Amino acid sequence: MGDFSLLAAYKQEFIDGFLTTLSASLLALVLSLCVGTIIACLRLSQVQLLEWIGTAYVEFFRNTPLVIQVFFFAMGLPSLGWNISEFTAGAIGLSIYTGAFIAEALRAGIQSVPRGQMEASRSSGMTYIQSMRYVILPQAFKIVIPPLGNQCVNLVKNSSVLAIIAGGDLLYAADTVSSQTFQINLTYLFVAALYLVITLPLSFGVNQLERRLARQS
Amino acid sequence: MIQFEQVNKYFGDFHVLKNIDLKIHSGEVVVIIGPSGSGKSTLLRCINRLETVTGGKLIVNQTDLTDPRADINRLRQDIGMVFQHFNLYPHKTALENISLAPRKVRKTPVDEATKQAKQYLSKVGIPEKADAYPAQLSGGQQQRVAIARGLAMKPKIMLFDEPTSALDPEMIGEVLDVMRDLAREGMTMVVVTHEMGFAREVADRVIFMDEGMIMEENAPAEFFQNPQEERTRRFLSRVLKH
Ligand SMILES: Nc1ncnc2c1ncn2[C@@H]1O[C@H](COP(=O)(O)OP(=O)(O)O)[C@@H](O)[C@H]1O
Ligand SMILES: [Mg+2]
Repeated sequence: MGDFSLLAAYKQEFIDGFLTTLSASLLALVLSLCVGTIIACLRLSQVQLLEWIGTAYVEFFRNTPLVIQVFFFAMGLPSLGWNISEFTAGAIGLSIYTGAFIAEALRAGIQSVPRGQMEASRSSGMTYIQSMRYVILPQAFKIVIPPLGNQCVNLVKNSSVLAIIAGGDLLYAADTVSSQTFQINLTYLFVAALYLVITLPLSFGVNQLERRLARQS
Repeated sequence: MIQFEQVNKYFGDFHVLKNIDLKIHSGEVVVIIGPSGSGKSTLLRCINRLETVTGGKLIVNQTDLTDPRADINRLRQDIGMVFQHFNLYPHKTALENISLAPRKVRKTPVDEATKQAKQYLSKVGIPEKADAYPAQLSGGQQQRVAIARGLAMKPKIMLFDEPTSALDPEMIGEVLDVMRDLAREGMTMVVVTHEMGFAREVADRVIFMDEGMIMEENAPAEFFQNPQEERTRRFLSRVLKH
C-alpha cells in the first residue's frame, strides 16, 4: 500500500482541508435549509405563478450536474465582473443544489399530513401560520427527518466538488498530497476515512433522532 | 343565528348546493339526513367557511360569510366542529388537543387552559385519559376528546359531521350520550347523522337533503310519522328497515 509516515509531513494540509470541508458543509447546510423552506413554501402556495417558480427551481437544479452549477459560480460570475472566493462559490453552489432536494423533502412531508389536520385546527380559529406551526409542521418534521438526514450526508460528500475549483477542501488536499508523494491509494483511503469521521456520526445522529421521534407516537 | 338565503355552491361544474334557504335559531338542534353525496357535509362546512358559497347570502352570528372582509378566524372561534374521522392531533395528548386553541387563539394562560381542558375531559366522561395520545384511545374515546376540544373554545354553535359513522357499533352510544347532554344544556347544534334514533329523540327539527336540495324539513315526530315527499319516504324506508 505505501508508507504512512510520508503523509505525516502533510498534517497541516489535511487539517486545513478537513476544516474547509466541514465549514463549507455547515454553511451550505444552513443556507440550503433556508432555500429549501422558501422553495417548498412557493410550491405549496396555491398561487399559480409562485408554484411555477418553485417547480422550475426544483426541476432545474435537481436535474443539472452540481459541477456545472459550481463552475458557474466560481468562473461564470467572476467573468461577469463579480468576484467571489472559491470557497463562497462552492458553498453557494452546494446550497442552491441541495436546496432543491430539501424543498422536495419538505413539500412531500407537509403534504403527507392528512388534510383533516389543517381543517381541524383552522376550524378552531387558529390562523394558517398557527396551524402550520403547532399542528402541521411538527407532524411533517417526523416524516422529513430521514430524507433530510440523507441530504445532509450527501451534502458533505458533494462538498468534494470544491476540489475541482481549487477550493481547498479535503479532496483538494488529497489531490495535492498524492501528486507530491505518489502515495495515491493511501492518501485517498485516508481522506475517505476523514469523510467518514463527519458522515458516520451524522448518520448515527439522524437514526437516533428518527428512533426517538418514532417512540413518541 | 345561522341564515342561508338562496345559497348555491358549485364544485367546478358540479352543482352541490341548490337554492338553500335555512334558518337555525339559537339553542336549536337541527339534524340533517339524506343519502350519501347529497351535499350534507358541504352545507355544514359552509357554516364555518371550510367551504365558500358560490352565490346567495349566508349569515352566521351576525357575520356575512359572503363578505370577503369577514373576519373568519374570529367567526370560527365561536363554532366548534366535530369530524367523522375525529382529526385529533396525533402528536399531542388528549389534554393538549383540548387546550391548544384556547391557549393560542384565546391566549388563555397554560395552567388555566389545562385546568379547563381537564373539566371538559370530565364532562365527556374520560378524565383518566388526560395524558393519553390519540393512538392510545378507542374510537369512541377519540371522538369524545374531539367534542371536548370543540367545547373548550366555548362556542355558540357546534357542528357535527357524521360523528359516529366511523365508530364500532358498541361505541356509538357513548358519543351520542355526550351529544344528548349538550343538546339538553341548550347548545345550538347542527348534526349530520344516520342515527335516526338520535334524530327522533334529540332534534328540534329534521332536514332531509337530496341532490343538493333541502327536500323536506319538519319536527321529528311529524317528519318520521308523516313524511310528505316521496323521496323522503323512500329514504326513510331504506334506513329504518334494517
Ligand atoms: N372538494 C370537492 N371537490 C369536488 N367535489 C366535491 C368536493 N367535496 C364534495 N364534492 C362532491 O359534492 C357532492 C356532495 O358531497 P358531500 O357534501 O360530502 O355529500 P354528503 O356529505 O351528503 O355525503 C359529492 O358528489 C362529492 O363528490
Ligand atoms: Mg358527508
